[in-house]
Amino acid sequence: MDESESLWQFMHQQSGKLLQQTLQHIGLTFISLLIAVLIGLPLGIYITRHKRAAGLVLGIAGVLQTIPSIALLGFMIPLLGIGPLPAITALFLYALLPVIRNTYTGIDGVDPGVREAAVAMGMTSTQRLFRVDLVLAFPVIMAGIRTATVITVGVATLAAYIAAGGLGEFIFGGIALNNTNMILAGAIPAALLAILLDFLLSLLQRTSTKGRRITLRVMPPVILLLSSFYWLPMGYSSRLLAGFTPEFMGRKDGDIGLRSTYGLQIRTVVISDAVMYKAIYNGKLDVISGYSTDGRLEAYDLAVLDDDKKIFPPYYAAPVVRRDVLQQHPELAPVLNMLAGRINDSVMTALNYRVEYLHQSPEQCAHDFLLSRGLYRSPRNGNKGVIRLGSKIFPEQYILTNIYAQLILGYTDLTVDSKTGLGGTKICFEALVNNRIDLYPEYTGTALLAILRPPPGETERLAGNRDSVYNYVRRRFETMYDLEWLDPIGFNNAYALMMRRGQAQQLGIHTISDLVDYLKKDKL
Amino acid sequence: MIVVKNITKTFGAHKAVDDISFSVKEGENLVFLGTSGCGKTTLLKMINRLIEPDSGGIWIAGQKIEDQRPEELRKKIGYVFQNTGLFPHYTIEENIGIVPRLLGWDKGKIAARTSDLLEKLHLPSDQYRTAYPHELSGGQQQRVGIARALAAYPPVLLMDEPFGALDPITRASVRKDFKKLDELRSKTIILVTHDVQEAFELADRIFLLDKGKIVQQGTPDQLLFEPSGDYARNFFEDQRFQLEAGRIGATDYPALIRAFDHFRKRQS
Repeated sequence: MDESESLWQFMHQQSGKLLQQTLQHIGLTFISLLIAVLIGLPLGIYITRHKRAAGLVLGIAGVLQTIPSIALLGFMIPLLGIGPLPAITALFLYALLPVIRNTYTGIDGVDPGVREAAVAMGMTSTQRLFRVDLVLAFPVIMAGIRTATVITVGVATLAAYIAAGGLGEFIFGGIALNNTNMILAGAIPAALLAILLDFLLSLLQRTSTKGRRITLRVMPPVILLLSSFYWLPMGYSSRLLAGFTPEFMGRKDGDIGLRSTYGLQIRTVVISDAVMYKAIYNGKLDVISGYSTDGRLEAYDLAVLDDDKKIFPPYYAAPVVRRDVLQQHPELAPVLNMLAGRINDSVMTALNYRVEYLHQSPEQCAHDFLLSRGLYRSPRNGNKGVIRLGSKIFPEQYILTNIYAQLILGYTDLTVDSKTGLGGTKICFEALVNNRIDLYPEYTGTALLAILRPPPGETERLAGNRDSVYNYVRRRFETMYDLEWLDPIGFNNAYALMMRRGQAQQLGIHTISDLVDYLKKDKL
Repeated sequence: MIVVKNITKTFGAHKAVDDISFSVKEGENLVFLGTSGCGKTTLLKMINRLIEPDSGGIWIAGQKIEDQRPEELRKKIGYVFQNTGLFPHYTIEENIGIVPRLLGWDKGKIAARTSDLLEKLHLPSDQYRTAYPHELSGGQQQRVGIARALAAYPPVLLMDEPFGALDPITRASVRKDFKKLDELRSKTIILVTHDVQEAFELADRIFLLDKGKIVQQGTPDQLLFEPSGDYARNFFEDQRFQLEAGRIGATDYPALIRAFDHFRKRQS
């Protein structure tokens, strides 16, 4: 009950966005469908008259259908970039097979006696097509269009990955933020849309002969109208285009904060983290949200804009350890603290770069780092006990875990058991609390916003100050979970806005306030 | 009216029509008689270009059919199919009006013609006009098929086993009403059948076909009493008594049909 009430509240609060995404979703669906019908129907008619081509055409359309939708979108990016064009192309390719196949089987299934009679009475091939074949094949063709529509509504949720909008924005934002209401706010309208369209088309499919003639006349303008929905919710225009991840869009310390605190008004598309960096590098986007220590910063030569109003809470990394383990092995804490303050933002970025782009193993990378700092010692092969190390599933965590493992092996008589790749924050934290692991590197901001979730006033009071956040989470973890935060490693893997270094310099944009000022001037 | 010269058609290795020539006078009723696979339907379909011959030529009213657009040619030739070929998505009225509409008749003229034909074929217009084919019995559907073929006053009527799919009693009844249509008198009709009695009843002249060739041609009497060879003689053997009786007037066929009709009514 509580859940559904808050879902309703969420949908009510976000009604503007919900409407926009729904309209975009309908628009995307019908543009793709329109193109699929415009191409699929004539192609289907063609292969009923040239049977030899039928196998080939249906074969190709069938192969397209078997490509996983996310992969098809992936193929589109190098060819067509991001945004509506590749999304519509991918959706239309999906919708093509049912339209072609049902046109073909529909017309092929018309009674040959009736078709011969039409010829014998002197109908031209065009007259036969429109007065006999298409009308009699209508239920089968409509069934194909119906299938295509339902497929398209479903696949269109993936359009949010490549900045084409639609209800996928809520769905993927909700998944990233672990926000069930947000997921449902996208998933329920998408499902209802599919059911509704399926029902309406089923009515058309069963319509009488007279209804079919009317349908044939009314359908094209209706589809055109629905297609135009896609362009209705265009916001303010500016020359720069921002691409934010679904997660960033839904966070207070993300897009929402940028709007309320900075008054940032920029044309924004929602895009998957996986394609965002490439897109800004290729000039498809101008501003993106990212992490300040991401290796891709270096790979794509991006500049981080200074958060001069401090809306992004600090995400200082530090090892979080079970207190009983620290008491049992007093030698452990000093060893782990050897790394404190040793890795700043640029060092971490460089390490991430080596793993993500140069494809070095995290182990090798950790080894090289310790050697260069004069910290490396050969393993002692001790037998005093086992320390279980956990990590979330991304390179930075792998590197840190490997560094800790090598330090423990070199400086103590303990051995290690690495349990890397424990998914997201939730899994790592639960594993630690439930005594499945002994420690993992965590970020102060994550602990604050994703685990402790203090009331909004508290968050605002703390926000921006590195030490106050650290002290707050440290105290809370101690009292609530019996967990100890050791000293921060040094770098701050916070959210950040970034631009291409060249463009940022050329426009004189160094801080987020600079960006806001530039956009205001640009508008006038 | 129709002149056919040296027509040949092969399907793969099978010679369906083998160098056939003949001519049909205006108003004549010609019947192609033969077993299935003898080439009679192929021959018929070449007259309105549903099938194109490999060689030879056909002239209708002095015009070579190859020189006309097939659509134009077909609108001037009525065609009745064995399995009716009615459009399932058209009402009876719309089905009958197909060719008139293609010819651009105005609505009033089409409506008048349709109800006239329906009445003549014993399908009350106000009852059947707006019905769809699937709502009619097989015999009624075939009557509509005939009406549709006649609608635009074509001078030539081609009929491909028009009564073949009906049960014997219905067949006789439809055939009777068909024969009574006065507008058939001036029409050149070519009818294909494997039914000997039907051929004898409707034909001015019969072509007995076998293996793509005309085995014998002539009036029903000539075929029956002066068979040209064994094939012709054997073809009629089973029903010889009945046929001969019919020709010499010992049996009153119309009376027989009336009796069938009566029988049918009693049954239903």
